[in-house]
Amino acid sequence: VSALQSSPYFHQALPTSKVMLWVILAMMPGLAVQFYYFGWGVIFNLLLSGATAIACEVLVQHLRERPLFDPIKDNSALVSGIILGAALPPLLPFWMVILGSAFAILFGKAVYGGLGNNPFNPAMIGYVLLLISFPVEMTAWLPSRAVEMNQPDFWQSLQILLTGSTREGLTVLDFRQLADGFTQATPLDHFKTARSLGYMVNEIQAESNYLANIQAPMMVNLAYLLGGLILLARGIIRWHIPVAFLAGMVLTAGLINSFDEARFISPWLHLALGATMLGAFFIATDPVSAATTPKGRLIYGVMIGALVVIIRNFGGYPDAVAFAVLLLNIAAPTIDYYCKPVVYGEKSHDR
Amino acid sequence: MTSQIKVLRIDRRFHGGIHPPENKAQSNHQAPRTLPLAKEFIMPLRQHIGQPCSPLVKVGDKVSRGQCIASSDIEPKAKIHAPVNGTIQSIEPAFCGHPSGEPELAIKIHCDTPDEIDNSLLPSDATNLTAQIIDRVDPVQALQSIEEAGIVGLGGATFPTHIKLSARGIDTLIINAMECEPFITCDDVLMRHYAKQIWLGALIAAKILGAKNVILATEDNKPEAIDAMQRAAETLSSPLELKIIVAPTRYPSGGEKQTIELVTGKQVPKGKLPASLGIVVQNVGTLFAVYEAVIEHKPLTRRLVTLTGDKVNQPGNYWLPFGTPIKHLLGLHLFNGDITQFVVGGPLMGTRYTNTDLPVQKNTNCLIFASRASQSHPWVIESKPHQACIRCGECENVCPVNLLPQNLYWYARHDQWQQLDEYNLMDCIECGACAYVCPSEIPLVHYFRYGKSNLRLQARKKAKSDRAKARFEAKEARLAREKAERALKHQKAAEARRKAAQDAAQDPDGKKAAIQAALERVKAKKSNTTDHQSEDLS
Repeated sequence: VSALQSSPYFHQALPTSKVMLWVILAMMPGLAVQFYYFGWGVIFNLLLSGATAIACEVLVQHLRERPLFDPIKDNSALVSGIILGAALPPLLPFWMVILGSAFAILFGKAVYGGLGNNPFNPAMIGYVLLLISFPVEMTAWLPSRAVEMNQPDFWQSLQILLTGSTREGLTVLDFRQLADGFTQATPLDHFKTARSLGYMVNEIQAESNYLANIQAPMMVNLAYLLGGLILLARGIIRWHIPVAFLAGMVLTAGLINSFDEARFISPWLHLALGATMLGAFFIATDPVSAATTPKGRLIYGVMIGALVVIIRNFGGYPDAVAFAVLLLNIAAPTIDYYCKPVVYGEKSHDR
Repeated sequence: MTSQIKVLRIDRRFHGGIHPPENKAQSNHQAPRTLPLAKEFIMPLRQHIGQPCSPLVKVGDKVSRGQCIASSDIEPKAKIHAPVNGTIQSIEPAFCGHPSGEPELAIKIHCDTPDEIDNSLLPSDATNLTAQIIDRVDPVQALQSIEEAGIVGLGGATFPTHIKLSARGIDTLIINAMECEPFITCDDVLMRHYAKQIWLGALIAAKILGAKNVILATEDNKPEAIDAMQRAAETLSSPLELKIIVAPTRYPSGGEKQTIELVTGKQVPKGKLPASLGIVVQNVGTLFAVYEAVIEHKPLTRRLVTLTGDKVNQPGNYWLPFGTPIKHLLGLHLFNGDITQFVVGGPLMGTRYTNTDLPVQKNTNCLIFASRASQSHPWVIESKPHQACIRCGECENVCPVNLLPQNLYWYARHDQWQQLDEYNLMDCIECGACAYVCPSEIPLVHYFRYGKSNLRLQARKKAKSDRAKARFEAKEARLAREKAERALKHQKAAEARRKAAQDAAQDPDGKKAAIQAALERVKAKKSNTTDHQSEDLS
């Protein structure tokens, strides 16, 4: 501190770089479960996406003629890369992963001036770019280990990632074909397709492989919930956004479900499927792009939860965390404007 | 006669707050001491909120301790007294602690008895005093004595006490003994050793104010002081009920507004003074000075100062005469290692200095000489660029005023004055809690001080332009009025002429016309006088 800097001279806080590191650490249970169910593709996504994010951050520093390695020290690019990597389907072509991650950092963050200035969640910018450009690949999840024991091994995964098929000529599509010849979709996707074909929720739930099918997403959500609770306990994030997110989801889904129980899944199933917990604890809580007032965070969270359910039930995509978060990112400054806290002495002043 | 004193422990809270390492144990258990006198004393002419005093002495004058050497005619003012016997050496600008290093006018006094240990600096014994002596105190005279003694708020605000005690409609006097900032222990030690004087000072203040309730408010990290205050109150036979309220230790509970919120559960309305709630808050040190001024007729010439930090060999509290330069202390072998910088006040609201010419003043409650940063000493040592704000909201969480520092930072950084005003920057008390918890180590208060000084500038400019505008509009209105009056006058004259011409045509003799003209003249005269009257009225 220069002689000119005024008080306070005491400072004690977990530095931003450690805050980011804790976010990554808290994702570990979820990532481990994802790896268990979906294999090596998960790890490849994380490595590729994380490395690309950091490389892009350094590239931007080079272009701006600033110290090359300063911003990567805050670990924020790594967090964006890892969140994106975790959200992408395993064994996506490697260049898509790189494209998504680079777009996230370059156009989701750097163009606005870097960390702290981006209005949108960078990882979700990258995710939505890929989802809109490559909808087939982006919704093609491998069947989990619980459904199909025949999973690509490390070398097969690497070959698919780099060339699109294994040396034996097997593609992702082949691995998605179950022994009985059906192509396996994620449960949310399956519910959506089946609903459009006129099937009822209880009919889908009566299918023989239903329980096996929802096992992986349920376990992944449980693991991310655990990670989220670690973040809460460590004081890295505050309760407002995740609680409001989940409450908004349960209330909206409950409302829709109470009108048409046969066609729409229960709120509890919404909690257990898709990117719910990852979204509630790790994505919507990105402080830079979220609402920042206490009341604003509640509104922000509730609206994301509600939007996710609405898009899942009525929209064209099976899951909607990315869209919901980006939409509320735009709304966050306005929400904050109307949620200014009452300052000391103002209440008695207004009367 | 003894009476039971209520000690009330409360768990009420204000919004936010922090609990940094206290660092009070180093300095709060030793009895107050004195130190050898300095050779030269530097008395800044402004040691209160308000305009500087003017010197009442000239170079070469002999002065004795307690003699008034500077005063002012403009309120708020606080007189300044010679801290020692000596000779006026010079009256010229000297470094008095302005953060910019700008020198301010000061009186330098050459001490008659340098290096002497002056035990008269220690307060006199008050063991046998009771509240009976208050009966003899005349409120008007007491207020006069307080003004004469140059007493200001010794908690750090330095607002002249006689003005604060002139408030009307007060029913409660709160004695602020929170002392919430780390390292500072002068109030704690004052209570442990001079409890009776503090209560008596409070009773005098209550008598002046006409207050019925006297409440001492402190934090639960000062059990010895609470004990001492309780015992003293029990032997006092006070005519008023005395109360002690103990709040949980949480910075900044000593902020006046936070103290009031803790004690009463009420908030001081925005833009108003505590007096609007019928409350006056006084620091324990101030009330001790009130006691000495009114009962012992001693002006304010010295105060209890905490000397602490790991570079001080014997941390503790010392009675230091005002004007004692810091470099005099450095020569007394009190320290280990080199002193290159020190903090006046606490680590959260104090000021860091490198210039040891700085003298002890009325607001000098603590001097910290610390060298290293550690878990219990989380000093910000090196200069490094701060990281980006990620709007985590930790600052908002700890702000005792419930502001949004994350937004204020953004606006201050981009000179958005209107938004700063709209987001209530002027309500910031600069406690530093936000910067203390900021994960990106942003010196938030530094930005806020910048924003505040600009807002004040804007307000001054606006007042000036408003005045100019009002003047301009008044002038425009006057010109317009005069023009209209002129036009009316011309119109009337023209009509009169036209009529005269018509009449002349009808009455060639001119007889009628002459009569008519005479009548017109009378009429015009009359209407002129009424015009004048109406103008006078306007």
